[in-house]
Amino acid sequence: MRIAPVSQGILRQRLEGLNQIPTIPAVLAPLLHYLEKPVEQIDVQKVTDFLAQDKSLAAQCLRMANSPLFGHWKKVESLRAAVLSLGFHHVSDIAMSCGMLNMFPGNKTGLDPAVFWEHALGCALVCRRLARDIHLPDPGKAYLAGLLHDLGIIVNLWVLPEEFRGVFEIAKAGGVPLHEAEQDSLGFTHCDSGRLLAENWGLPSDLIHVIAYHHSPEESPENAELVALVHVADLLCRMSGLNHGYAELRQWNLFEDQGFALLAKNFASMKQLDWARLTFELDSYLDEVHVLVRSIYRA
Amino acid sequence: MTSAAPLPAAGSSTAPPDPNLVRIRDLVYQVAGIFHPDNKLRLLQDRCGRRMKELKIKTFEEYFECLTVRSMRQSELTALLNEITIGETCFFRNQQQLDALRRIVIPNLLREKSKLPQRRLRIWSAGCSTGEEPYTLRILQMEETDSQLQNWTVEILATDLNERSLAHAKAGIYGDYSTRNLTAWQRQKYFLQVGSQLRVNPTLSANIHFSRLNLTDDPRMSLMKNIDIIFCCNVLIYFDLDSKRRVIQHFFNNLLPWGYLFLGNAESLFGVSEAFDLVHLPGASAYVKRRCNVEEAPQ
Repeated sequence: MRIAPVSQGILRQRLEGLNQIPTIPAVLAPLLHYLEKPVEQIDVQKVTDFLAQDKSLAAQCLRMANSPLFGHWKKVESLRAAVLSLGFHHVSDIAMSCGMLNMFPGNKTGLDPAVFWEHALGCALVCRRLARDIHLPDPGKAYLAGLLHDLGIIVNLWVLPEEFRGVFEIAKAGGVPLHEAEQDSLGFTHCDSGRLLAENWGLPSDLIHVIAYHHSPEESPENAELVALVHVADLLCRMSGLNHGYAELRQWNLFEDQGFALLAKNFASMKQLDWARLTFELDSYLDEVHVLVRSIYRA
Repeated sequence: MTSAAPLPAAGSSTAPPDPNLVRIRDLVYQVAGIFHPDNKLRLLQDRCGRRMKELKIKTFEEYFECLTVRSMRQSELTALLNEITIGETCFFRNQQQLDALRRIVIPNLLREKSKLPQRRLRIWSAGCSTGEEPYTLRILQMEETDSQLQNWTVEILATDLNERSLAHAKAGIYGDYSTRNLTAWQRQKYFLQVGSQLRVNPTLSANIHFSRLNLTDDPRMSLMKNIDIIFCCNVLIYFDLDSKRRVIQHFFNNLLPWGYLFLGNAESLFGVSEAFDLVHLPGASAYVKRRCNVEEAPQ
């Protein structure tokens, strides 16, 4: 099956003409902005109030706050307790993850959007873990970058549902990476469509670079480390069960990867990390991410 | 070396894992290179539980002491490793690893070797125990004979230190437990029913060379030449670090330049050897000889 190429211009037109793409929930922008303040200036009640404005978001945050993925074992039953016990950084991670979840369209394309969300969440967790292991300055930013890296898939699901489903089937049947199938069939990738939306939203430039260059970190004009980190985490997830819903038929040698080399240049610990153990540990993420998805997405 | 920070524990999500069980997990990984991710901790807990019952010990804290400071520590560690690997041997034990072999590794090797005049692959099951692994490899080969392995000779070497295991392997008679993953079709095609057991068909044992070999026997190990793939699953875990390094150095020399080394599920070479690169395959991982200049060749 061959899909007629859609030029970038048409993509932009479709994107601009589409009112349906949900934006980040209205409450999130002011909340995230508020959470950027120095910790001593943040008021727990105010954070709780922000979240409580959006009942669905609040309920999802509460479910997520009870997942061991966020390191919590004692059941939290109120938003205030969640904010208090998880800390502000985790609250913003959780709020953003729920926001991302709400952007996926229903399964009108015949594809299961939960798969993409699982990949995004898995990648965010691996990014945060890697950032901590190599002492990248801002693990919270790494989490966010991992979460948003495939924003373009959301765009494609909304703007070109039929075409995207076709591309997905081609990629799955051939076991090839999604972006390669997109390039072949559509003439652009989710990196391009994601970049358009990210610019449209006015996201910070480092996140735009991650979204646009996570499959080619060496081409990123700036923020190469963050982009390369997401590139490596994305690949680890795609080679494991946190993939896009199918196994890519390829062999990936971490030590010969360009993103890995970019990171290793500035973070010597990259070469000393126990990558085998990290790979085995992905299994645990996989289970927990599935549990979360079952409890939130399909609830 | 940077040690990996533990993940938030997974599993039933009702309680964090016992910190002493996590210490035992890390000890087993450090000593034997076999890792239990958080979602498999329950398994380790059960295996420790059996030993603790035997020793009439109530807490993981006390059992950790048995494994580390008490005079019995060596023998107890071996006893625990035996518990961990018990029941590991069966036909088609690690389906994802075998899928990766069939779909990625063999095509890669055939591509490399197609330039050579001889169309031959040599696969070595190092530590073949009672023979399920080499027979599985033979079944896999026979299932590919009409497609990618057409006109290729596949030689399977199967070695073990234990005479009794080898005698069992050569006899090729297996009970329900070993054969639980075989399909009805495979049972019919490759086995003969002998009472309640299955005996391998003569075509299955042809071209498998069973022999007794100690992996630390330097002169004999240096005779193993031109190997394409080595399977060495749950064998190195019993060796001390020096012996592991010796064996891995032999494997490095035994393998052809493009050769692969497969270890057991969740078994790692971290801290043992840098002569191999960890490569990610769909749902599995393997080691390949690191490509380096002659001057950099590991000693």
